[in-house]
Amino acid sequence: MNNSLIQVENVAKRYRLGTIGTGSLKADMMDWWNRKVRNKKDRFQEITEEDKDPNGYIWALQDISFEIREGEVLGIIGRNGAGKSTLLKILSRVTRPTRGRIRGRGRIASLLEVGTGFHEELTGRENIFLNGNILGMNNREIRSRFEEILEFSGVQKYIDTPVKRYSSGMYVRLAFAVAAHLDPEILIVDEVLAVGDAEFQKKCLGKMKDVSEREGRTVLFVSHNMQAVQNLCSRAILLQSGRIVSTGEPRQVIAHYLHSGRKYDLLQQWSTPGEAPGNQHIRIRRVEIQPMPAEPGGPVDIRTPLLVSFEFWNLDPLHLCIGLQLLTLGGECIFDVSSPSVLLQQGIACGECLIPGNFLNDGAYSISLFFVKDTSILLYSHEECLSIEVADYRENVSWFGKWEGYVRPDFPVLLQMKLPQNPAS
Amino acid sequence: MPSPEIPVPAWEINPSSGWLDLRIRGSWHYKDLVLRLVRRDFLVSYRQTVLGPIWLILQPLLTTLTYIVIFSKVAGISTDGLPAMPFYLAGILVWNFFSECMPAVSSTFSSNAAIFGKVYFPRLVVPVAAVVSQLLRFTIQLGLFFPVLLYYTLYRRTIHPNLLMLAFPLLIVIIAGIALGTGLILSVLTAKYRDLNNLIYFGLRLMMFVTPVIYPLSIVPSGIRFWVRINPLTPLTEAFRYAFLGKGQFSWGYLAYSFICMAVILFAGIALFNRMEDQAMDVL
Repeated sequence: MNNSLIQVENVAKRYRLGTIGTGSLKADMMDWWNRKVRNKKDRFQEITEEDKDPNGYIWALQDISFEIREGEVLGIIGRNGAGKSTLLKILSRVTRPTRGRIRGRGRIASLLEVGTGFHEELTGRENIFLNGNILGMNNREIRSRFEEILEFSGVQKYIDTPVKRYSSGMYVRLAFAVAAHLDPEILIVDEVLAVGDAEFQKKCLGKMKDVSEREGRTVLFVSHNMQAVQNLCSRAILLQSGRIVSTGEPRQVIAHYLHSGRKYDLLQQWSTPGEAPGNQHIRIRRVEIQPMPAEPGGPVDIRTPLLVSFEFWNLDPLHLCIGLQLLTLGGECIFDVSSPSVLLQQGIACGECLIPGNFLNDGAYSISLFFVKDTSILLYSHEECLSIEVADYRENVSWFGKWEGYVRPDFPVLLQMKLPQNPAS
Repeated sequence: MPSPEIPVPAWEINPSSGWLDLRIRGSWHYKDLVLRLVRRDFLVSYRQTVLGPIWLILQPLLTTLTYIVIFSKVAGISTDGLPAMPFYLAGILVWNFFSECMPAVSSTFSSNAAIFGKVYFPRLVVPVAAVVSQLLRFTIQLGLFFPVLLYYTLYRRTIHPNLLMLAFPLLIVIIAGIALGTGLILSVLTAKYRDLNNLIYFGLRLMMFVTPVIYPLSIVPSGIRFWVRINPLTPLTEAFRYAFLGKGQFSWGYLAYSFICMAVILFAGIALFNRMEDQAMDVL
């Protein structure tokens, strides 16, 4: 067992909702008065169990305890708003926890800090030093790696040009080059925050693999890409509404993630447009996956056709087509099909799509719907709204390993003897 | 499974920092950052200007000329028997140093929110860099002041510098301390209550009128003398003039008053800043 590098103990973080405007000075002073002068208990300290209390505070994290061991790649997964970013902010010391403590050793650097502090009036050279200093390197360290950084960035020719003249690609490459040469003991990679092109994200992942595999460093990886988490991480933590709900083997934690939090797996419906998700054009009324097994109540397996049906309130008369995507729960799209564009009146519209049996491989899938106006303008997307698990089914096969592939169509594959060998010849 | 304790925890993150938990050891590591920020300030201020750093000299010179015309020639305010040029220049240099330093420090959070939201480093680095940067500007401006002094001392023989001159770095340190302290307090307050920002510039303008910049302390009428005298910048301005020009109300006791004010304000400022820096981040 490797030594532990960071220990997180009972960390909780509370945020105040809303803006700081008129009255907050008064509220703060009254708090202070009650707490310190009249010696009452902090009224916020008593309410701990609720996620949200009536006074406009919200708990972004609660009871977070875990440890990070030397050399491991720890994945943190969870839905948006589960507290991942807050946790990273606390770990990178940008903000403090409301309760609990974290102890550790080693320098933490994160790739979500790419380009922080870059000043566009300054030259590339000045910015390398400025950014490096901000990220915690001293001048000697930067100088010793300057050539490497320059080479990695590929902007040698423009190094004495102000970065405001750079293309955005050059800018990002230079910024990334500095962050990538920080040499931290602990690297935080937040894929969610690393907005930017696919190439840049790939570079992030590549660097991460490098750092963990070749240099044996510790990495904290936050991502929505389950495939990446599964491939890269040695351990994973699942956050849900600010709490750790699962930790351990990435495969198991991901399975937990995929099965949790989906309240409406096969059916979502709303009775009035007011409460339904959507916008001024579209309100979702019902979306449903109906498995159509050969016998009622039978298992849903790879042979089962799936009928996807949906209804929505159409609030404007317009030319509309519906796109339907089937995704693996890792987020990869298996197919993307679309209805013809139809002129719809105001009112309730409906549609359906039949995914035939003997088409999908076994696994868990989700469905996203896209509402497109005039075949080009996206009005609303209802993403990953449904999910379904398709079980395996095999006949006359004595092998039980994982069947590869996203789809498992029932195309005939022929096999026969072409020229039998004559035993006599 | 419970794991072994971390052998030597190098750092610990807690809900709140102490009032005076300065982390001096860690801070030294960031001296390069302080100097880098100072350098950035300089490089950025004079990018795409025609005259560049010459503005540093030009600005107080132009202000002085304006004051000579308005306050000395038109309004006829006394300059304590001193020639107007060095009299106003001395006041302006001292006052400018303070009045540039203080807002530079107090805007710490608002102008660095983006960086503070992403990277950790001791936040005190930024205000300290702001003060160092202003000190450097002040030093360059002395390059204007000293030739003027020489001219009036040796050629016109109308001013009489004395040995207190040697103590002038002390005066500057006290001014810098007061500016840093007030700035730190205001930086925390403005991070939370942004409308206070408008008050800062108003307050600075008011403060200039109770600091002997455009008049000597000796002509202040008794009605407002109290307000001018309790201003800790007053003894510093007067001492500065006394040291270089030979006239002004100076006593060590009065200077000690300034020093004590500086110590109290700076102590309070650092303590408050230290205590609130992390909370301020959550409301930005």
